[in-house]
Amino acid sequence: METPDQPSPQVNSAPNPTPTGPVGDGEPAPDCSSIVRFAKLDELLALGRANSLWPLTFGLACCAIEMMAAGASRFDISRFGAEVFRPSPRQADVMIVAGTINRKMALAVKTLYDQMPEPKWVIALGNCAISGGPFVFPGQYAVVEGVDKLFPVDVYVPGCPPRPEALIEGILALEEKITGKRRWPRVPPQ
Amino acid sequence: MLLEKLQSAVGAGVILPDGHETFVLNLGPQHPATHGVLRVKLTMDGEYILRAEPVPGYIHRMQEKMGENRSWSKYLPNTSRIDYLSAMTYTHAYVLVVERAAGIEVPPRAEYLRVITSELNRISSHLVWFGAFLLDLGGFTPLLYAFDDREKILDLLESVTGSRLTYCYYRFGGLCNDVDAEFLTGAREFVAYMRPRLAMYRQLVTDNIILRKRLEGIGRIDAELCRKYGATGPVIRGAGVANDVRRVEPYSVYPLLDFKIPVYSECDCMARYLVRMDEMEQSLRIVEQAIAQLPEGPVMGKVPRVVKVPAGDYYHAVEAARGRFAIRIVSDGKEIPYRIKLRTPSFSNLSLFEEASRGMMLPDALALMGSLDLVIPDIDR
Amino acid sequence: MTPTLDELNQAFLRLLTPAPALGTACEMHDATSCEGKGVSPNPAPTPPPTSAPVPPCRIVEGKTKGYHFDADLAPDQIVPAGRLLDERGFAIDAVTGVDWLAAGQMEIVYDFYHPVSVLHVVLRCRVPREGAEVPTLSEVFPGANWHERETHDFFGIRFTGHPDLSPFLLPEDADYHPLRKDFTGAA
Ligand code: SF4
Repeated sequence: METPDQPSPQVNSAPNPTPTGPVGDGEPAPDCSSIVRFAKLDELLALGRANSLWPLTFGLACCAIEMMAAGASRFDISRFGAEVFRPSPRQADVMIVAGTINRKMALAVKTLYDQMPEPKWVIALGNCAISGGPFVFPGQYAVVEGVDKLFPVDVYVPGCPPRPEALIEGILALEEKITGKRRWPRVPPQ
Repeated sequence: MLLEKLQSAVGAGVILPDGHETFVLNLGPQHPATHGVLRVKLTMDGEYILRAEPVPGYIHRMQEKMGENRSWSKYLPNTSRIDYLSAMTYTHAYVLVVERAAGIEVPPRAEYLRVITSELNRISSHLVWFGAFLLDLGGFTPLLYAFDDREKILDLLESVTGSRLTYCYYRFGGLCNDVDAEFLTGAREFVAYMRPRLAMYRQLVTDNIILRKRLEGIGRIDAELCRKYGATGPVIRGAGVANDVRRVEPYSVYPLLDFKIPVYSECDCMARYLVRMDEMEQSLRIVEQAIAQLPEGPVMGKVPRVVKVPAGDYYHAVEAARGRFAIRIVSDGKEIPYRIKLRTPSFSNLSLFEEASRGMMLPDALALMGSLDLVIPDIDR
Repeated sequence: MTPTLDELNQAFLRLLTPAPALGTACEMHDATSCEGKGVSPNPAPTPPPTSAPVPPCRIVEGKTKGYHFDADLAPDQIVPAGRLLDERGFAIDAVTGVDWLAAGQMEIVYDFYHPVSVLHVVLRCRVPREGAEVPTLSEVFPGANWHERETHDFFGIRFTGHPDLSPFLLPEDADYHPLRKDFTGAA
């Protein structure tokens, strides 16, 4: 369970999530964004979106405390424009799934995701949100083994819990995914 | 009484005799004020709560079932993920109960270090509560102060345990590694740093007239209610009962240390607030003394490679940040536990919410809920 | 007022042994001697009465077990025993179950602690595994309500007279009892 040196966030390199239909019923909704495109405007919008990501105030378990820490004094996620935590999904554009999702909660999480307006992104923070984490064992009866079973995920940030720096790196990775450019130089691991 | 009559009416749209109509409000499972995924089904008459029925289970993580399919020592990391804000004390309860059952001796240095780290953890837990509680009441700034101080504790604990939150530092018979001189100096410095900070909190927040108006006389929980529901920790100490496991059923080296149990008898939210604020001060005292008394020696006792627990059932309670946390283990003599029961403080503390919040205004009930200091995975396990 | 272990033992013996004086436990209430033995971790247990069969209740070594008094009850003795503890100022700690699959039994364990003294009391009751049923304690200790609901969730033990045994920690539509030893995973 302990991950002493935490691997860097994994980015789901699938194209930006365009509006998809309800997950699971096999019929993706038509992708309108590829019909009409304004190249320069799109880029400009992407830049704006990437630099002011508004996460949903949504904590599930232990990882949420690290998310709070990332928003608080020392780590100060507002340096990256992502400090406007919104309690309402209607005003948020990135959902940080911080913690374990169990079967009782799964529907509510799915509803929250559906309530967020497009474009929207998802960060799976912590092993629980990635795969069920430490709570997976043969015959388990409660845990959803990864939030990507419910809806698509853009960035996976591993750790149990991931450090706040890892979440910030996840935000940067998401920015890179949105704009195609990395805003900050990558620091090589020492 | 009117309220009593309506107690059973959970459905919406009940017309009260005075012509008012009730409605059902779902607080959660995703709501910023519930600190996680707790759902409370509120039957309201306007702003007043007729009935508040908590619906837990949205973060049930099979902690008890997991005990039955892994060896005694592999269960250790689980114990730090029940109440992740006071992971140390929870692990402490588990190692204590297994040590008690298997008859494992712990060297004194390890016991002292356990107390030091547990108390630091208690302060960091109370700091999170302090920030989050005031956030519930509408003040954002204290959170930034609290998290700043908390990071200092986390740095210290990280330097010895390797993790920031979900520590797995205690082992059966001792600790996984000794601390270095740097940690001890750091802890001493932290004690010196934190005292004036607590004084500042008192000036900045505790004496604030708005805070007092929101907390004084609000959310009455008396000693009898605590007893009937098994509520412990700052809740019962805010009701005038000096119930603290560290004092009532002493364990580890707590009997050798000099500290007070803060008790306030006003039974309101303010009393619970003050208990926690004073507790941080007492924890600093404990840390200070424990460092001064810290003996030299090994941090790991003689422990068999595979820990086996003689058949039977054993019980151990500790004082976690939220109250009495106890583990009951049942062993059939094998390498795998037969049953692990976790008695968590948040569960019992929340169970009185329905009775305590009856007839309250909704914002006051949120203050009451914040003053219980809930950690939801601690309820659901 | 802190009850003493001996007095508790006497009261329980009177309650549990089928003697004519069943249910008079409350009369003992005034006779309790208040010794403020507050802080001692191990309140010098007196040797249990050594009658030939195992007594239904006994004082145990608190140091090794973590509790000081242990009583085996029949289902219909749970509520009187709960009352007896209630009168002596005990608080409810937890209610839980243990599934003894091999023996075909369900054990229901009640923990009680005393808010200001070191006493910890355990009550147990074993019932046949299938259709396990015991009366609810929630009338004496309202806090037992949630604990019993949880126990019903996990073990399928029914608590007769309980106001609401619908799934608590499990999803609303759960029809499984995961902590039973023969549980193999939910669909
Ligand atoms: S990944 Fe680890 S820290 Fe995060 S929610 Fe899961 S158990 Fe808790």
